Amino acid sequence: MKHSLLFILLSTPLLAAPYKVEDIKFPANVPPEVGGIDFAPDGTLFAVLRRGDVMRARPAADPAKWKWELFATGFHNGCGIDAVSRDKVRVTQMADFTEATDTNNDGIADRYRIFAAGWGLSGNYHETNAITEDGKGGYYIAIGTASHNGPTAEHTLGEYSKFGRRGRNFASVKWRGCTLYCDPKGKLSPFCFGFRMHNGIHQDSSGNLWCGDNQGDWRATTPLYHLEKGNFYGHPSALVWDKRWPENKDPLHTYREDLEAYNKHRTWPSVQIPHSEMNRSAGEPYEIPKNFPHFPGQMLLPDNNSKRITRIMLEKINGKFQGACTHFLDGGGLRSGNHRIRFSSDQQQIYVGQTVRGWGKEAEGLQRITPTSNEPFDITAFNITPKGFKITFTRELEKELAAKDLKFKSFTYQSKWTYGSPQENKTDNKVQSVNHLDVKTVEVTLDKFKPGRVYQLDLEKIKSKDGAEIQNRLFYYTANQLP
Amino acid sequence: MRALSLTLFGITLASADPLTFNTTPLGQKDRPIILRTYVPDPGLDPAVLSNHGEASKSPKYSPNSGRDVGGEYRMMKVIPAAIAVNHGPALSYVWDTTECRLLYAWQGGFIDLYPYWGEKNRGGRRSFDYGARLVGNLFYMAQPIKRKKPTFIGYDLSDQGIPTFHYKLGDTKYAETILPNDRQYSFVINQGSKKLTIKGKLISKHQGFDRNLKIKSATVKSGQQVFGAYGCVACHSTDGSKGHGPSLKNLAGSTRPIEGSDPVLADAAYLTESIKNPNAKTAKGFPPSYMPPYQLKDKEVESLVLYIQSLAK
Repeated sequence: MKHSLLFILLSTPLLAAPYKVEDIKFPANVPPEVGGIDFAPDGTLFAVLRRGDVMRARPAADPAKWKWELFATGFHNGCGIDAVSRDKVRVTQMADFTEATDTNNDGIADRYRIFAAGWGLSGNYHETNAITEDGKGGYYIAIGTASHNGPTAEHTLGEYSKFGRRGRNFASVKWRGCTLYCDPKGKLSPFCFGFRMHNGIHQDSSGNLWCGDNQGDWRATTPLYHLEKGNFYGHPSALVWDKRWPENKDPLHTYREDLEAYNKHRTWPSVQIPHSEMNRSAGEPYEIPKNFPHFPGQMLLPDNNSKRITRIMLEKINGKFQGACTHFLDGGGLRSGNHRIRFSSDQQQIYVGQTVRGWGKEAEGLQRITPTSNEPFDITAFNITPKGFKITFTRELEKELAAKDLKFKSFTYQSKWTYGSPQENKTDNKVQSVNHLDVKTVEVTLDKFKPGRVYQLDLEKIKSKDGAEIQNRLFYYTANQLP
Repeated sequence: MRALSLTLFGITLASADPLTFNTTPLGQKDRPIILRTYVPDPGLDPAVLSNHGEASKSPKYSPNSGRDVGGEYRMMKVIPAAIAVNHGPALSYVWDTTECRLLYAWQGGFIDLYPYWGEKNRGGRRSFDYGARLVGNLFYMAQPIKRKKPTFIGYDLSDQGIPTFHYKLGDTKYAETILPNDRQYSFVINQGSKKLTIKGKLISKHQGFDRNLKIKSATVKSGQQVFGAYGCVACHSTDGSKGHGPSLKNLAGSTRPIEGSDPVLADAAYLTESIKNPNAKTAKGFPPSYMPPYQLKDKEVESLVLYIQSLAK
């Protein structure tokens, strides 16, 4: 008995999530519905809450000892915030992009000015907006669509389009379902088109622009998009706000009847992230900074509808991004509602803003994730080759992998008017060879290896040489192209 | 000077509290609160809203068939981009950032955001009816005027948090401050050096959002009413289309796959449990602990069960 207990203790895998997740509490009775978070250059963290208040606090090590102050108020469902300084924030609310400044240094903003305006608002509950800085004083703004589960107002902010009003999620007023560029003076122009609800947008350290979206109509599964000027990203309603789209042509009807033309017009996701298995509802993508101890340079994608955050490994093939996803954190004390991410100024901690208000059981607040150990034993690079994949682990493998340790299958997704689409054209891809390039890197060749498919890897319960069990056993690589 | 600002700072601390779960927040006469939300259109002359876009009725769409299904969506009577200000019972008003003018004013209360913000523990909004409701006596509504195209600039807050709105008509800048006075159905507008006292008369009385469904006996119809009132359709379709939760079409009487246990028959007991204690069993393919436990009265639950049963063939 004693012996077997000892055995259990010794063989307990080092699999506890390698992160501490702490709850950062807001003052009692303040609804912690976090629409957006951002650090000011002096290290003050600002949070815009969805009923209208902007709170600020200097981060404290003890999560119970944050002294929140009310900084500004009167925003409608602010979901994007830039903390310009300790005394100035810019917030995208439903109708506009407003700057709030404390001009007399009493701790409360007293000057509210429109920073940018020009997108429409139909009166629908779903029309939230998010921002990212372009690094040169300007912004990119993600303008969300409306939902058919709510109405429009009789009198809308901005021009109304009856063809934009069609379908499940719709873009009945100007620039809904678009991404806008906002120059440093606040002048707006459409940048790219065709989003359902890109709740979060991020420019990475190399200047690449990213967003996710929510599985649904014209979204087969959760996507990660690399945004480039002028492109169409697949949700048709917003095309009524693209000047290149013919007037009086119903985009929903057009593409519902002609998926071939639709597939030609649209830019496909860089990564297609299986909805149930990985990420049900993408929040703001965010690059892991270079000094964070785990997976620097990779991308996090919070799940707004589950207690998890996705980790994405990207590479450029033939000039276009594509890559693999797995969990960064699945459970471990994380709430649901995850949609905003910021790293602490020393890049050692992750702050996650959470809200699902109005959709389901409340999952509201702010949490802080701190690594508690070295980088876990996991796959850290997932690269495509002409005949399969090259996979790199974070640590030396206990022993060489055999074909049976790596099971590959693949499938396709077709986005269309339905709410999500199934995995189709499923195939098992037999591992033809396993070649160890070094103690951490293995190259596999696969049977029936073709582009235009999502490849699923189910990994055996393998171990590292130092005895750690593998952190993740499920991976998906979106092979838009072969090298 | 320092002493003065310290005194004012004292007021600031006492009064500028964050919003809470209370859906009927109130300011004070000398320290208003400001909210941006979908405020009601209490019956303004449409010509007052001439700088807005005009929505049109649109055909109802079935996300299940991907086709129009007959009928039209009703539009909601709200103003999308207005600012609501409350000085306690003394004065409430709505100033619009699109028309750049005061739209209407009332006394005796502010707005009830229950249909938009919902209750503390679930935050559910009323699906097609989430505009905030007025509380109090409406006594002033703007009339149409001919002006140049307005552009909203922003607003400044005084030390007491009283807003002065800035806007342009054509290229000319204007500033406007609205203040309560001590008279019934009256307020003051300061426009630059001009001071106008406005006197209105009672137009209509408002009691906020009526959430009392007053169900006498459970019926399919009252179930449909509950279903609408609590915004269930945001997650549960009635036509078989997919959503955050299982569709209710043909659910009753079917055998339901359950996460982590054997399938169950969706009889009245299962439906009742799924409403009252939704996380007791999780339907296969859906996230656990997603649906909040609604605090429904027994009659409301019975009504919902009848309604769900009516959606099965």
